[in-house]
Amino acid sequence: MSCLDPPINISEHVRHSTRYVGRSLRRREDRRPLTGRARYVADLQLAGMVEAVVVRSTEAHARIVSIDTSEARALDGVVAVFTAADLAEVASFPDYIDYIGPVRQRPLAEDRVRYVGAPYAVVVAADRYVAEDAAALVAVGTVFEPLPAVADIDQALAAGAPKLHDDWADNRSVDIGAERPEITEAFRRADHTFAETFTSQRQTGLPIETRGVVADPSDGVLTVWSSTQSPHMVRSTIALMLGVPEPQVRVVLPTVGGGFGTKTHIYSEDIVVPWAARLLDRPVRWIEDRMENLVASVHARDQRHDVEVAYDDDGTIRAVRCTSILDLGSGEIFMPGTAPVFVTNACITGGYDFPLMETRTVAVVTNKTPAGAYRGFGIPEGALVMERVIDRVARLTGTDRVGLRRRMLLRREQLPYVMHGGGRLDSGSHAESFERALEMAEASLARIREQHADDPDTRVGVGYSNYVEPTSPTYHLTTGHWAGYDASTIRVDPDGSVRVAAGLSAIGQGAETIAAQLAADALGVAADDVTVVLGDTERSPYGLGSWGSRGAMMLTGSVLMASNRLLDKARAIAAHMLEAADEDVVVSDGAFHVVGSEQPSVSWSEVATAAWIRTVDLPPGTEAGLETSGYYDPPYLEHELDASGKINAAASWSNGSHVGIVSVRLSTGEVKIEDYVVVHDCGTVINPQLVDGQIHGGVAQGIAGAMYEHFQYDTETAHPLFASFMDYLVPTSAEVPRLRLDHFESPSPDQPLGVKGCGEGGTIGPPAVVTGAVSDALAEWGVDLTTCPVTPVSVRAALRAAQSRAAAEREQP
Amino acid sequence: MKPSAFDYARPRSVAEAVEALGSTEASRVLAGGQSLIPAMNFRLAEMSLLVDICDVDGLDTVSCDAAGVRVGAAATQTRVLDDADAAQAVPGLRATLRHVGHLQIRNRGTVCGSLAHADPAAELPALALASDALIGISGPRGRREVPAADFVTGPFTTVVEDGELVTDALFRRPPSGAVTVVDEVCRRAGDFALAGLVAVVEAQDGAVRTARLVGFGLRGVPTRMRNAEDVLAGWAGDHSIEAITDAVAADTTEVFDDTHAPGWYRRDAVTALVVRTVRSVLESHEAP
Repeated sequence: MSCLDPPINISEHVRHSTRYVGRSLRRREDRRPLTGRARYVADLQLAGMVEAVVVRSTEAHARIVSIDTSEARALDGVVAVFTAADLAEVASFPDYIDYIGPVRQRPLAEDRVRYVGAPYAVVVAADRYVAEDAAALVAVGTVFEPLPAVADIDQALAAGAPKLHDDWADNRSVDIGAERPEITEAFRRADHTFAETFTSQRQTGLPIETRGVVADPSDGVLTVWSSTQSPHMVRSTIALMLGVPEPQVRVVLPTVGGGFGTKTHIYSEDIVVPWAARLLDRPVRWIEDRMENLVASVHARDQRHDVEVAYDDDGTIRAVRCTSILDLGSGEIFMPGTAPVFVTNACITGGYDFPLMETRTVAVVTNKTPAGAYRGFGIPEGALVMERVIDRVARLTGTDRVGLRRRMLLRREQLPYVMHGGGRLDSGSHAESFERALEMAEASLARIREQHADDPDTRVGVGYSNYVEPTSPTYHLTTGHWAGYDASTIRVDPDGSVRVAAGLSAIGQGAETIAAQLAADALGVAADDVTVVLGDTERSPYGLGSWGSRGAMMLTGSVLMASNRLLDKARAIAAHMLEAADEDVVVSDGAFHVVGSEQPSVSWSEVATAAWIRTVDLPPGTEAGLETSGYYDPPYLEHELDASGKINAAASWSNGSHVGIVSVRLSTGEVKIEDYVVVHDCGTVINPQLVDGQIHGGVAQGIAGAMYEHFQYDTETAHPLFASFMDYLVPTSAEVPRLRLDHFESPSPDQPLGVKGCGEGGTIGPPAVVTGAVSDALAEWGVDLTTCPVTPVSVRAALRAAQSRAAAEREQP
Repeated sequence: MKPSAFDYARPRSVAEAVEALGSTEASRVLAGGQSLIPAMNFRLAEMSLLVDICDVDGLDTVSCDAAGVRVGAAATQTRVLDDADAAQAVPGLRATLRHVGHLQIRNRGTVCGSLAHADPAAELPALALASDALIGISGPRGRREVPAADFVTGPFTTVVEDGELVTDALFRRPPSGAVTVVDEVCRRAGDFALAGLVAVVEAQDGAVRTARLVGFGLRGVPTRMRNAEDVLAGWAGDHSIEAITDAVAADTTEVFDDTHAPGWYRRDAVTALVVRTVRSVLESHEAP
């Protein structure tokens, strides 16, 4: 479709008295898990099924000298033990992106391991207990020859650093950036400059349900149940790597207990388990346990930002240079994990009118778990940098922090606005959202300050974040596939029931509910008459899956396209039955009639009966059947850079403003979030309760990043310093504050119904807000945080450093 | 995360339990299992026999007398937390248990199990030291009672020998009029502490008369802070806290570093806890 076509809308021939879009329809997918009736992949029981356990590297970087599996094989109950040599016929993982370092990833590590947790053997046994006993024997039988390890970004970039991938020039997977003459000029003209380094720490998406795969080779079809966000891509990749025709592979999503980006990737187990099931000719299951999950599912957010800022005495920020460096881990993952750092740089200017940005995008490999996708996808890291830069300039120049933001925020009349990297903001409420958030926080800020006024051990501070949230992005940046569409197929059965099958997957986000709302509005039926099928490659059309805050827009586009086609055919059939002209027939409340007179009418069931089992009632020359598909490919979405190096890599952009108020205990460094306000704008809202839920969950994960979760590694050996939730601190309901939310609706002028995505915005604000608020609280000591997570230890360290700085200054004559 | 194979015994008496424990070298006692079962699933703890004492007659009792509160080895933390008589006799029990884990953990976890596990960051061993608890141990050579001060010998190590089990612990009543305060700094509600304090403070005429201070989460064993106790005796909250800071520093010379917090932080935090505890005791003492 061309960018000039008007956006797809609900047909003018629908006169439905009930509109579902815009209402908080109760989530239809909740009843199953809440009543224990949901079936997760680990609940599947198949006759003759055996259990796989993956043997993982205990070395950060080593050559595999030998693997003796004989003792493991001899153990009672062990069915088979596989190493890379057994999988010689299996192809390597795809590697489609030509501008990043090539990684030849085998399904199991062949001769070298590059992180603790790297899979190098698989045990298949009668049950998990025996399999773990055997896995321990394989580990004992493995001889590693340790290699020098690369534990962080500095070590990766050091001259003469050990290389992870021998055929690379160094450890850089990507290093892209160009000097912009206008930036150089701005730096030359500015009153002042400063340089600073900001960091975000290593985290993971951490779904409550870990990954899992069950593969069954029965009946000539390789059926794979997988806890994934991208079932069709899993199927294509299995078919490709195992050399099986795609129609002979079926991937089915059971109920999925969250993905948060980690399940968009395709992992070794997704290939090895189906391969083993075919070889053994029996069902094989593998369920990731939590210890594995912490090292074997992708990590994220491990970035450093070397920033230079040019500013004037009045607080005007003239230009910013930012080198963003992502610690990619070993890089051995499909899809490769490089994309988030591009997104960091593209989105770093947030909701501000700030074109004078020069970025360099770097990703380096290290001997750590491969980095990949996590809700927020690079944006929180950049938001932290921008908001801290604004606060620093305000502090250095004595400018009001809020006033400076007001000066910089985008105003409606500037839209559509093209960001420094090419992002095209077609709509939004950037300035208004901030004003509303400030207004909501004003009274509570005064109250909280008052509450703590008499406590000499407590300080109160406030932090801000104004961000943009790219939604429905290209698949090219992440996988190398040149696509960004998704699909729905709609069928009306003889009883008048509507079935929507979509290429997206249900991962807890409520896709099932909004698909029903959309189809009901588009076809003039009750939402209860709509059945939604997601996440089964045999039942739904090919689609790219659920990631990138794309579900709402993709469902809206594809459901409306398919519905409108279906409606045209249904109206023609109804017109024939009503002996009326096609153009005079409308549908309302489940029935077709001539416009202006409700009777006579023909029901959806009568039309569908004619289409399927009473074709003698069809108009002459009409094909039987009542099923259509829609493939929505959003306008303005670009897949590659233009001549000037810019790209609008997302179909539309939501925005939001967060204001957070914290109290800080000086003596212990404890930080408490006293109040947290979010104003969010994702265009037309299909289901307000679902949007609220997305924001609540997102903010909770954002707070996790701002204050709690941190994968720490030994800086010499690159061994993990975490093994469990004792070390990787996930906030609970006791730590996450009650949020206060409000919404603006600035519909996208270019997307169906004006819908934009909302899945990730909540995660973006908290790191910027918490660092900003704690710095504000401790401003009298000059504390200015540059790093997450903000912990009691980091706050005390900052205070101690500030106090010893002050002491040193006192001693100076 | 599956344990390696083990045998399982569920004795009905202490004598049977001792016999079972002695039947093999690699035997372990299971009570609430809130630390042991995860360690088994991580394969950090492996044994040939697990002796579950939850059905041993008389071990799930909580009884109060003039000396204090005697807690049986199978009594859960929730049971002790909910016992009004115990809370009245030894207020520190309830004050401590509120900080131990979460509801689900306390429903299974036992008071004596926490003592026997001797996690350096756990609250209950510190309370035991602060209240001069007496820990009852049974083994092949009969029963012995060990004062809390001698019970924990290092991180996760106690005087309990192979073949023995803790059967009970007597938490003594504090001096009449004393206030027991349990406070800690932790990252999340219910976590092990980065630093914690059990304080038993007697105040009179707006000043501290005596203070008994036990820090935890500082080093391998609970730390009796005698220098700080001395400085606090007579303290009225009216002069500089530097003396307290120095005394705490002298009490905490061996503070450990780990991924959760460096030693200097733990010392800062326990100093803050001492100061705020004493201040709050004095404030509440002044109030009518």
